[in-house]
Amino acid sequence: MSDRICPVADAVKRLSDAIAEGRLKHARGRQLAQDILRLMQDISSGRGGPEHLPAMESLAQRLCAEIPHRACQETGKWLQSVFGEQREVFLSHLETRTCPDADCVRLAPAPCQMSCPAGIDVPSYVTLVGEGRDEEAIELIRKDNPFPWVCGLVCTNPCEFMCVRGRIDTPVSIKYLKGFAAERAMSDRLYRNPEPSADNGRKVAIVGAGPAGLTAAYYLALKGYRVTVIDALPMAGGMMMVGIPRYRLPREVIDQEVAMIEDLGVLFRFNTRVGKDVTFNQLREEGFEAFLIAVGAHASLTVGIPGEDRYPQVVDAIAFLRRVALGDRHMPGKRVAIIGGGNVAMDAARTCVRLGCHEVSVIYRRTRSEMPANEEEVEQAEEEGIRFSFLTIPIEILGADCALTSLKCMRTELGPPDDSGRRRPVPVERSDYLLDVDAVIPAIGQTVDYSGLTDLETLKWSRRHTVGVNIASMETSVEGVFAAGDAVSGPATVVEAIGGGKRAAGAIDRYLCGIPQPNMPPVPVRRGRMAFTQIPASTKMSLQRPNMPMLNDERRRVTFQQVELGYPENAVREEARRCLRCDVCIRCGRCVEICRDKMGVDALRMGYLNFDHPGPTDFRMTAERCILCGACAANCPTGAIRMEDWGDERVLSLCGTVLNRLKVETCEMCGRVIGPARYHDFIRKRIKGINQHVTDRVLCLECARKSAVENQLEAGPPKILV
Amino acid sequence: MTFRKGQKVEVYRRSEDESWQGYMDRYVGLHGVVTDPDTVKNDPDALIEVTLDKEGTHRFPQDCLRALTD
Repeated sequence: MSDRICPVADAVKRLSDAIAEGRLKHARGRQLAQDILRLMQDISSGRGGPEHLPAMESLAQRLCAEIPHRACQETGKWLQSVFGEQREVFLSHLETRTCPDADCVRLAPAPCQMSCPAGIDVPSYVTLVGEGRDEEAIELIRKDNPFPWVCGLVCTNPCEFMCVRGRIDTPVSIKYLKGFAAERAMSDRLYRNPEPSADNGRKVAIVGAGPAGLTAAYYLALKGYRVTVIDALPMAGGMMMVGIPRYRLPREVIDQEVAMIEDLGVLFRFNTRVGKDVTFNQLREEGFEAFLIAVGAHASLTVGIPGEDRYPQVVDAIAFLRRVALGDRHMPGKRVAIIGGGNVAMDAARTCVRLGCHEVSVIYRRTRSEMPANEEEVEQAEEEGIRFSFLTIPIEILGADCALTSLKCMRTELGPPDDSGRRRPVPVERSDYLLDVDAVIPAIGQTVDYSGLTDLETLKWSRRHTVGVNIASMETSVEGVFAAGDAVSGPATVVEAIGGGKRAAGAIDRYLCGIPQPNMPPVPVRRGRMAFTQIPASTKMSLQRPNMPMLNDERRRVTFQQVELGYPENAVREEARRCLRCDVCIRCGRCVEICRDKMGVDALRMGYLNFDHPGPTDFRMTAERCILCGACAANCPTGAIRMEDWGDERVLSLCGTVLNRLKVETCEMCGRVIGPARYHDFIRKRIKGINQHVTDRVLCLECARKSAVENQLEAGPPKILV
Repeated sequence: MTFRKGQKVEVYRRSEDESWQGYMDRYVGLHGVVTDPDTVKNDPDALIEVTLDKEGTHRFPQDCLRALTD
């Protein structure tokens, strides 16, 4: 693991040590150092404001200049150098309320938030969804991602791969919760735009109306820029619109979220191809000061077999999906062969089924276990009646009179692994055969269509034929030109494009304001610290991730209706309650150690704390053993574990999960509330051998002392500690 | 080798690939999960998306990654 220490936490510790060890002997110097320490602790715990850093710098300067004591002056100089060299880190802590190194424990981000390419504060919105506050959840999500509804349906959800709940049973269904909240907020007419800043009069042009371009447009418009988005297609959405089939992402979802962006004053120029209909120089003459290239990766790779260019019935998957997305409902042929085993191949095949094709075959050169498509996509394709020909390679497309009649294929077997570790398919001799088809759809990869970018002569390209950028700032080699999305990464995910678009918007703003660019990708922002949702441990353990209701197979074969029908409301609210609130509990394990090693109680079974080797977890077990001593809560650095008195009960909870609750006893003499009987028994057993005067009376500390005096007993350890 | 979605991996060295950026040096030695492999043809040369424990999601060339066994 990383041994890097957060500079803020490091400075707090070193200054605390200097004060505690008495190195700052000058009284006023010590006072100044304590003032600086308090301010740094504020920053380290998320309580800092914009005045903190200037105040710290001023105090450090005074420590150097006004205190006639060498150690104080050296401390002042050291602090000045820390504030200078680590200024970006201190500012980042102030602005984001996040410490990516997790050394400032109250600012440690949750793994789900860290994993999100858009940096969404997942635990906060999941908590809001659990409480039925859908519109607040959407407002919070849109601070980092203007497409919560789209992502609620088609995100690849890296957050769920990192979800700590997955180490106990299954990850929280984060994606579908987001989708539900967006749909509900939209339905309730509570899906609203934030108030944009005043118009600053400066113009930014964005080339490409896909997720990256639209995201950048949204955040730039909110900052007061005049944004124009240019796209070759007749509608906004890019690959979301023409690459993802409607049965996964309905058009209305894209249209409604794009309309929200348009409502901020963003202008669109559709059916306009940059480099052909308008050039970068013409745009500069129109007054655009910065540009974002977000053209996606819409060009298809070819298979390279004879006949590929000869027949009009050979259509690459991207062009085919685009055609269907734009309204064409003609089937490409009755019998169609799809070449490739990736997600795009599955999309093309499933689209063919919906268009009425009689036979749809997927031709893949390796076995099913090597198929790169998502498992659930393959399963759904099989359910819809698509045939798979594994260990098969196409070798020629045949036909007569411009009409395709068959695909010549050859069987293969997997040979030994090559340099990349993959078993290469080896053709089997004399195994060629004809597959009767009347259309072929190759789906073997995409690349960036650079034809519109050739007038940017100094634009650097990567060896993968993508636009070369500095990932931290999304700057290209051309001044004032930025790039994001698939044009940079190659074919990737919607949420990654959104993250890139947001980063580019920040960088364009910095560029136009003359602020230096960062050298690291941005740190996700903590948007809040929501109150915990109370839930019994047994409920927390027994709640199961719900299954997604699906459209029936028959309807899936004939319509483009959405296949995943969404969770019902009660399932959503319950699912949200499975969240472990890792934005507060940093899984340091101190509670487990204290309980097991110091108290000898061992009431916390939390095997999920270990990332690489998680063990068994059962929150219910705590109630069996816990004595409610409070040692875990007292040593919890973030306030995740709490021990509180609720009426006549003492309750121990972890991020709202009630681990144990016991009736408290009251002092027999004064009536004051003291701990539960189980705790008293524990203490009694511990001190029985030491103190001979332990009685069965239940007294608070004060009354125990009084009683001892009254009885003229020798003072000994009191029976009960409050 | 090529990687599968959900596979645990380690960034075990820096890559010589042009896509490796300076700030990624700090990720060497970290563990993570493959969240978006090449879903078209398992191209060993493709950049793949890996979510690192505590360090976010990044696209890496595959030569700097190795699979971890549970």
